[in-house]
Amino acid sequence: MKNVLVIDDDEAVRSAFQLALEDTSCVVTAAAGGREGLAKLRENEMDLVFLDLKMPEMDGIATLRRLREWDPKVPVYIVTAFADEFMEPLQQAAEQGFEFELIRKPLEREQIWEVAEAVLGAIHLAGAGGKRG
Amino acid sequence: MSEQKYLFRLYIVGKTANSQKALANSKRLLEEELPGQHELEVIDVIEHPVWATQDEVIATPTLVRCSPPPVCRVIGDLSHREKVLERMKIRVPSAAH
Repeated sequence: MKNVLVIDDDEAVRSAFQLALEDTSCVVTAAAGGREGLAKLRENEMDLVFLDLKMPEMDGIATLRRLREWDPKVPVYIVTAFADEFMEPLQQAAEQGFEFELIRKPLEREQIWEVAEAVLGAIHLAGAGGKRG
Repeated sequence: MSEQKYLFRLYIVGKTANSQKALANSKRLLEEELPGQHELEVIDVIEHPVWATQDEVIATPTLVRCSPPPVCRVIGDLSHREKVLERMKIRVPSAAH
């Protein structure tokens, strides 16, 4: 089993990730903000993190900085629209050497699956009735 | 008949370790599989997010085969050579044994 953490203040987005990965070998843990997400990360070792860029209180970059103090290696995908207006803080984080990848918002179920599989390897469960086989 | 020239674009994030790994893997793979027949453009999504959208890239790193058709994409650090070749459709199937 693979542990996937989704940190996003939008419940619909958290649900979308959970639905997309429900018939896979992934166990999805959801957190509604950066602080909750960091607490979840300390409770369980994660294999993959999806992290929303724009969140109230503690945004994605601030969360990433704290997260990397705890876990320098876990793959982190920052979820954002691919538009210039969102790129400046990401540029600064990249220049400071923080490791992360980007995933484009909005996301469809198949795309979430595709990215999770690219990072984690085969995640299809035999007989689960998923779209891929 | 002149040989086809393939155009690929690799979408990465800055100079992160994973991006550099994807870059090294894609260069090696293309030089071995398509020597002298390919061009590889490397694009930082942070600098050119709109280009990534136009090429229907959903995540980094992604290698896009832009031409000749079919246009295809593979996400990841490109370390799974056979998977990349299959998804990029750049090897004759009967040659793979």
